[in-house]
Amino acid sequence: MKARSSLKQEFLEKWRKGLQIGRNDSTILERKDAIKLSADVAIAATRNAATRWRRALLCDVVSKNPTNKHVVEQILGHKLKNTAATTRLTTACRRRILRRGQNYRRRKRNKRSRALRKLVPGGEEMDGVLLLQETLDYIVSLRAQVDVMRRLAAIT
Amino acid sequence: MNSGLPEMLHCLNLTSENCEMSVLERQRSCLKWQQEQLSHHHPPIPYFNGNDHLAYSGFHGDQALSDLVLNGGAMKPDPGVEHDDFRRFMNYGSGTTDFQISSALPRTVSCPPYVAAASVDSAAAGKESCKKRKADRSHKIAAEEKKMKGCAEEESKITEQNSNSKSTTTTISTSANKNSKGASANAKKASDAPKTDYIHVRARRGQATDSHSLAERVRREKISERMKYLQDLVPGCNKVTGKASMLDEIINYVQSLQRQVEFLSMKLAAINPRLDFDIENYILKEMFPACPPAMEPDHSHLQFNTSVEEVSGSGLEMVVDPMDATLRRTISAPITVQQSFLDSSSLNQTQQVTWEDELRNLYSMEYQQGRSTPFISQQITGFLEANHVKLEM
Repeated sequence: MKARSSLKQEFLEKWRKGLQIGRNDSTILERKDAIKLSADVAIAATRNAATRWRRALLCDVVSKNPTNKHVVEQILGHKLKNTAATTRLTTACRRRILRRGQNYRRRKRNKRSRALRKLVPGGEEMDGVLLLQETLDYIVSLRAQVDVMRRLAAIT
Repeated sequence: MNSGLPEMLHCLNLTSENCEMSVLERQRSCLKWQQEQLSHHHPPIPYFNGNDHLAYSGFHGDQALSDLVLNGGAMKPDPGVEHDDFRRFMNYGSGTTDFQISSALPRTVSCPPYVAAASVDSAAAGKESCKKRKADRSHKIAAEEKKMKGCAEEESKITEQNSNSKSTTTTISTSANKNSKGASANAKKASDAPKTDYIHVRARRGQATDSHSLAERVRREKISERMKYLQDLVPGCNKVTGKASMLDEIINYVQSLQRQVEFLSMKLAAINPRLDFDIENYILKEMFPACPPAMEPDHSHLQFNTSVEEVSGSGLEMVVDPMDATLRRTISAPITVQQSFLDSSSLNQTQQVTWEDELRNLYSMEYQQGRSTPFISQQITGFLEANHVKLEM
């Protein structure tokens, strides 16, 4: 219980930090995107932002819209270094690296595997075992995120 | 190899009633023993070369260790030494995990559970399943959370460090369970070893000893272990068995969670004309853990405690605001933080209308008459401590 509530509190704090950035959003869609962005970055920034899916999520966020960068930095609390961690290797390049390790195993990625990879951020570049692991952690974080957002929505 | 026998028998003696370890794991732990015995005859560097002879067995030892890790071998309480030697051996450029594990073996302690622990320790360092163990341990230390959740979270910490290489994080599990498991692993391995040749066979009976298939088996076991965790995490997965349908469930669940995030963010955007969720809502969230029916009581209690720390620095008006939100009324009297929390907790559990009425009555009829309900009196004391002259009905 302790760890779970601390995760949620951490998420809430970071989410707040991200939302405090001044934005002039007039339409509801813009506001929703801002909320969602802050929430996603916040949940990705919890717990050291170390796992693959977190880094992948942050990289996607930054690459999609460069203005998001300061949201990310605000939430993370430090500047994003332009290391390999922040710039995603291209999918093809990563796949090549991955294939080297999987040379002996000729697995065909079935439909479900592919579907799961699409869902989990950064899933394209993980192998089977890692994918399940990342999915596990991702589910945990998503649950915390949904829980906090739901409570907040219920309050206001 | 005969020198290994007494130790193995020693392992056997340490058997506990916990015989959950699979045959393979026990074989592997015995293999570790054997390797350790062999290692005693070689200094570290030549040992590495000696590994060429033991390559085959070393490889199996790898899986043995991984299995042990998977099923909870005891952990040696001295990861530092392992870590350094490990790195050194890794620098020799061996890309295969078996060498790394075998090289780490010489440093295992001479006591069987420790052997299992140490080897598991070093093996686990590189295995992803190690993270599960660490997660379990930290989870046990927290002593509250769901096992998978702690596991997953801990895993995430370590995932980065070891994709294919050994991670240096080692786990120390002090639970008696794991110790007994390690011991039983050793013991049962000893019983199986006489059936099979010591050096070569690390496979289960009736299964291929091909290195590829063994690697496959390790991978499959890892996958199945993670699927088990996922099964506990994803609701509704208990009925379905089999990877395919479970993956379907997992995919559905992740999709639904993501959609919920979208929907909730839209809802929040609709509720707030401007993005001003701030501290008030933060405290509101803390305040209202008892409100949602899904809340567990101790969770709310915990929230209160942490909220107290959070809010203590801030003005009391903010503490009051959540109550205000429910009461639709401003109370500016300074209240002790503790009191306010108690108030809000009881507040959440009662109807707001009656609370307002009660308060009105109380203030009109003076303090003595307000002792109808305990929580009211709590609030009254809180209010009266402060400057309740400001209170207005």
